[in-house]
Amino acid sequence: MTTTLPGTGTTEVRPVDVPRGRARRGRGGRSGKAGPVTYTLLTLAALVSVFPLYWTVVAGSHTNAELAETPPPFLPSAGLFDNFAAALEQAPIGKAILNSVLVSGAITVGTVLFCTLAGFAFAKLQFRGRGVLLALVIGTMMVPTQLSVIPLFMMIAELQWVNQLQAVILPTLVSAFGVFFMRQYLISALPNELLEAGRMDGASTFRIFWSIVVPVARPAMAVLAMLTFLTAWNEFFWPLIALTTANPTVQVALAGLGSGYVPQQAVIMAGTLLGTLPVLIVFTILGKQIVGGIMQGAVKG
Amino acid sequence: MATVTFDQATRSYPKTDRPAVDALDLQIDDGEFLVLVGPSGCGKSTSLRMLAGLEEVDSGAIRIGGRDVTDSPPKDRDIAMVFQSYALYPHMTVEQNMGFALRLAGVAKSEIARRVAEAAAILDLQDYLDRRPRALSGGQRQRVAMGRAIVRSPQVFLMDEPLSNLDAKLRVQTRTQIAALQRRLGTTTVYVTHDQVEAMTMGDRVAVLKDGLLMQCDTPAALYERPANVFVAGFIGSPAMNVLTGEVVDGGVRLGTAVLPVPRDRLARASGGTGRVTVGFRPECLELVPPGEGVPVVVGVVEQLGSDAYLYGTVGDERSGAPLQTSDVVVRTEPRHAPEPGQTVWLRVREDALHVFDPVSQVRVD
Ligand SMILES: Nc1ncnc2c1ncn2[C@@H]1O[C@H](COP(=O)(O)OP(=O)(O)OP(=O)(O)O)[C@@H](O)[C@H]1O
Ligand SMILES: [Mg+2]
Repeated sequence: MTTTLPGTGTTEVRPVDVPRGRARRGRGGRSGKAGPVTYTLLTLAALVSVFPLYWTVVAGSHTNAELAETPPPFLPSAGLFDNFAAALEQAPIGKAILNSVLVSGAITVGTVLFCTLAGFAFAKLQFRGRGVLLALVIGTMMVPTQLSVIPLFMMIAELQWVNQLQAVILPTLVSAFGVFFMRQYLISALPNELLEAGRMDGASTFRIFWSIVVPVARPAMAVLAMLTFLTAWNEFFWPLIALTTANPTVQVALAGLGSGYVPQQAVIMAGTLLGTLPVLIVFTILGKQIVGGIMQGAVKG
Repeated sequence: MATVTFDQATRSYPKTDRPAVDALDLQIDDGEFLVLVGPSGCGKSTSLRMLAGLEEVDSGAIRIGGRDVTDSPPKDRDIAMVFQSYALYPHMTVEQNMGFALRLAGVAKSEIARRVAEAAAILDLQDYLDRRPRALSGGQRQRVAMGRAIVRSPQVFLMDEPLSNLDAKLRVQTRTQIAALQRRLGTTTVYVTHDQVEAMTMGDRVAVLKDGLLMQCDTPAALYERPANVFVAGFIGSPAMNVLTGEVVDGGVRLGTAVLPVPRDRLARASGGTGRVTVGFRPECLELVPPGEGVPVVVGVVEQLGSDAYLYGTVGDERSGAPLQTSDVVVRTEPRHAPEPGQTVWLRVREDALHVFDPVSQVRVD
């Protein structure tokens, strides 16, 4: 902790800066340059990952008939915009995207906040029944969602929340996985002495949480936020039950697309693209900041 | 500024069979620099943390400035602590680290800035106020940790091995700086270390702990001159005091075939009818005498330090020179005329420098 590596004395943080200790150990002393093999493998992996998205674009820009040809088309065409129009006509995709942003945003904020609070409590506070409570929390991970759907729906109906967004937001406002994840992170990343220093400086537990725990937990919070947002955005089962196509999230809206005697593959694909683009754009633009934010906190003082 | 009192303070951790700190009685004066020293696991940190309010007190009481704080939370005790790992807030700049406590206490911004600047000037940290801890060297971090404590002008400073993460040279430098700073501020300080040299050089008084029990608390000189028991005798001083146990004979204690003279009254009280007695003498309190007088020692190793030489040997047979007893003896001598390894030297203990202990209770006898 007291050794300062050469070159670490600068204050700016480079965006792709792996925590140093780990990087050194992992490479076992070899130089940090990647060879041609690494590049080839990474390129292949990237291509494989991007292909489904590309296919969505291709399929979304043709008609059902064109898609059925052999060989199938390999390039996108201007038909994409016709299909966009068709999709927008068939389902309230604009509203769905807005709903999804609200739902996923609220779930993300709630999950990150509550999981960090609970994770901190389980990791660092002494209270009676801590072990039992933690076991219970983790135990809920074993219960399949399908099992709780009916009671949950009855509760939602009782509250007259059917087809309202809070019916989707509330049940997932905190996740057992998130609690466990934050707990594990804080156990290793947050030294007890830091909390004790806070107490000596006169901070209340709440103040310690805001001023010390949250800054230290930021990298893990960013990761949890990303995971939670994507999961919430892609969630289909429960929103389909709790909402209707009149007030849908993106996934529910997509379910109503292209449904006819013959499913309109192209329209479905175009709609899917519309529903995926916002997330894609956000993560492309913010990706660097998110990674940067993660790494900024990850280098321990 | 305040006095600090430990009154029979005891701490037993759950699921342990003996207390980590056992009925500790300590009275620390206003403005005093008290050092807690002892081997690893003796309860130094626990004692300090009890005073800080970070550890429960199971029985007994702790008072700061006459006020009973046994059950008060840390923030109501008006104390500041320097941690071994420094525990600097990684996301705050040096300035924010130092000002955090004042900010929490609702001190005005301008006042915080003034006090932080003042502390930074004392500790030579002005150029680093905008840096984060990770961009500082170990020594600088240590000073920030000190700064965080002094900006608060607390009643008491607590320091738990604040120098153990520094390299040897910096440690010696910082040691004197901390001692000087404490004298200048006049704040009552409790300082924990396992290094007896640190303890002896820094403390107004030194409290020696062992297995949660207070062995002795006195000035460095008194600890050195009159250790209260065998443990303190062996712990304080480097190289350690020679401590040997032998059979009581007329007028002294038998070491090998020689007899070390011990005053009769002390001999009688120390042996307590067991027929044995423990004696101690420091390496620098031995004189070389002509062969045949005093106690023979076979030299094993000679350590040349330049200013001194230390002989490590075993008490040997007067006639054959062969070791009879495997107790090691350390002798400080003139470096230029040091004997060779394998040689036998004859030693006499300066009379005023002989320590006598009861071999059973290990307690000093005067
Ligand atoms: N949280 C704890 N739970 C149980 N036992 C503990 C705990 N903390 C310390 N102990 C025990 O209490 C005793 C005193 O510990 P303490 O940390 O005060 O030692 P120390 O004198 O500071 O040692 P060191 O020089 O190694 O820091 C040790 O035997 C230790 O094992
Ligand atoms: Mg300790």
